[in-house]
Amino acid sequence: MAMNLNTAPASELPPRSTRGMAGWMHANLFSSRFNSILTVAFGVALAAALWFGLRWIFLAADWTLISTLGGRFIIGQYNAESACPGSNCFWRPQAVLLLFTVLMGMAWGITGRGVVKQVAIATAAAAAAFTFLPYSLDRMGLDVRLLLVANLPALAVGWGLARYTPLGTARRTAILGGSAFLLALVLLRGLPGVPGLQPVSVIYWGGLMLNLLLAVSGIMFSLPIGIALALGRRGQLPVVKLLCVAFIEIFRGVPLITLLFMSQVLVPLAFPENFPQDSLFRAAVVITLFSAAYMAENIRGGLQALHPGQVEAARALGLPSWQTTLLISLPQAIRNVIPAIVGQFISLFKDTSLVYIIGMLDLVAIGRSFIQGNTEFLDNALELFVFLALVFWVFTCSMSYVSRGIERNLGVGER
Amino acid sequence: MAAIPRCLIYQGIPIWRHVRVIEWAAQLVSGVLVVALVGWFFANISNAIGEREIPSGFDFLSRAYQTPIGHHFLPYESSDSFLYAFVVAATNTLTVAIAGIILATALGALVGVARMSSNWLVSKAALAYVEFFRNVPLLVQLFFWFYLILSLPPVEDGYVIAQQVYVNNAGLSLPWPTANGFDAAVTWLGLAMVAVIAGVAVYVGLGRRETSTGKATHAVVMGGSTAIVIAAASWLIIAAVVGEAPFAISQPAPQGTFGRISGGFTLPGGLIVLLIGLVVYTSSFIAEIVRAGIQSVNRGQPEAARALGLSPMKALRHVTFPQAMRVIVPPLISQHLNLTKNSSLAGAIGYSDLTNVAKTMTQTAPAVSIFLLIMVAYLAMSLTFSLIGNLYNRQLRLKGS
Repeated sequence: MAMNLNTAPASELPPRSTRGMAGWMHANLFSSRFNSILTVAFGVALAAALWFGLRWIFLAADWTLISTLGGRFIIGQYNAESACPGSNCFWRPQAVLLLFTVLMGMAWGITGRGVVKQVAIATAAAAAAFTFLPYSLDRMGLDVRLLLVANLPALAVGWGLARYTPLGTARRTAILGGSAFLLALVLLRGLPGVPGLQPVSVIYWGGLMLNLLLAVSGIMFSLPIGIALALGRRGQLPVVKLLCVAFIEIFRGVPLITLLFMSQVLVPLAFPENFPQDSLFRAAVVITLFSAAYMAENIRGGLQALHPGQVEAARALGLPSWQTTLLISLPQAIRNVIPAIVGQFISLFKDTSLVYIIGMLDLVAIGRSFIQGNTEFLDNALELFVFLALVFWVFTCSMSYVSRGIERNLGVGER
Repeated sequence: MAAIPRCLIYQGIPIWRHVRVIEWAAQLVSGVLVVALVGWFFANISNAIGEREIPSGFDFLSRAYQTPIGHHFLPYESSDSFLYAFVVAATNTLTVAIAGIILATALGALVGVARMSSNWLVSKAALAYVEFFRNVPLLVQLFFWFYLILSLPPVEDGYVIAQQVYVNNAGLSLPWPTANGFDAAVTWLGLAMVAVIAGVAVYVGLGRRETSTGKATHAVVMGGSTAIVIAAASWLIIAAVVGEAPFAISQPAPQGTFGRISGGFTLPGGLIVLLIGLVVYTSSFIAEIVRAGIQSVNRGQPEAARALGLSPMKALRHVTFPQAMRVIVPPLISQHLNLTKNSSLAGAIGYSDLTNVAKTMTQTAPAVSIFLLIMVAYLAMSLTFSLIGNLYNRQLRLKGS
């Protein structure tokens, strides 16, 4: 026994540090033999991908196609001679952009800080930066460039409106936003007989403008329709429930592209012959309804996750059922499913690229038709689609960034 | 109190304030409105059909389609009927959907697990994959792959791997087994199916014994070798009886200077583009679903498994994954349905799927009837897939919940 006490315990090294460069690398990259092999294999593959990717971007790729198309990516054929004969219609999309910037400024003024501020500043800065981009449009004069730079003061005007005038409440800004959307449509469509506002047919609308218009109208209307459908499906009224279920399942069961195609071939037949028809309007309605069907399922999930005690407590306090729904169930249900709702908005935005099927020249279709029409650019197709992927990626990523910010502000998962 | 006629009172309450009455009235009104609207649409459509002499009806189905279909898995001639052409196109969509679902699920699970890896590099690479491919429209991705394949050399100067595999801008040609004789081939296929069933039975039985006794039974090895032995034995017997093997390998070979490859099995470029696009796009969604599922499992579960001596892979396979499946399967089904529906983008890259063929059909056949057919076909596919998925989901559910 005594001998045992005298021998020193087998010496053991202290556990490896996980701090510092070496420690971090050991903990995160080389913690086991398998991990080390993975790290080396992935490192080599990634390095090779990066090497070839960067070489392609900077040496092999020819980006002149992007600058050749230039402003057409943004407004499509809107400024073409055939769309707007005899005058310059370019200021109209610009004015719409200015309207949007003012609204962003107002949203910033109301919320004060956070993601809204960042998005507002980024939007205005990007709009102003278009001044220096190659436009290569027919009539891109100084006035157009000035209108683009005006986005910066417009942001400030919006901020000031929200801060120092009675317009600065969320409800009034939302109403303003709705009317600004209508005004934008009128501006783009034009009014017959008004000088400077000569009508521009929707077939010339295109580019990013078209994607954004479809996305905004879809987002604005699919949420309320989706809420109505979800409430109808969860409700006690069998006839309404049946109608809602049928609507949701039919729209969810068929591809959007089939519905869009149908909207062009079949829907015109469903109305009298002299009924005013507008292919873009039909497409916007179909995209909105399609998105609403998915939205309804998301919101239904949120309603189902709600603790029944909430509704019971509201009823016990004497709230009528419509107030229980509007003030108690829906706000909590929607807050619970914000990621799913924003995910649906994102896929709605991505789906706007499908309008190629009805012959509209959106951001993707305009590039593709240009390549097909100018075969000397056929070798640059990859550059084009890498660029388009990047454009969409920037928009969708900022959407999910905003959604995370809203979630943080509402304290989802903390209560 | 003003006198209310008794006929306007129901259960002691004036009917215009009685909740039940209001509810039923509202339902009646909305139901009638919807029926009227749909009726008006149909009246207009039938009017238009009558007045503008737009063709309708389903008589065209037995007429010859007279139009080639770019790629078809079923044998098809231009003289075949519309109905058969429709079935051929639906088979194309169905094949793409099933292959895409299998590949996307496998890739998505892999990326999802990589996303949870403790290895920083691997998890960040998986994150970049998910964030990129999930956020770019499928159409843009399809066009990217389309032009990437188009930039491959033509058939004459295409890549040839080991004199067997041809890669060029027309597609991918692989050696493929072809039947020497119909009877022998079918007999062997039947026996091979028996072999697979026997193998699975052995695997399941041994697995049960392993769970109950705790002794290693090597279920995978035993089950696999059972299947292989039965299949190989039946191959040899058939070869001895008939005189030649039931299947021979047909090798692809370039034909002259026309840029065609005969023999073997050629996956056309459009199909490859469609599959790559669908699989990559959908797998990025599935990866997030798998990650959420793994994260939903109580942390103590894999920790306990590790403490009991299971290796990380075994802990993942036997402890974490079965529990994560309950969270994963419902959204996974909806991704599978999305993939099936997204396959309708095939038209953009020139592959002949159901929507694309139907779109061409509307030029020579009544659009109304064709749309009804497409809707029924897609709804049937969606319902079948979700039925299979829901049956599987029911098996996974905890007993008594």
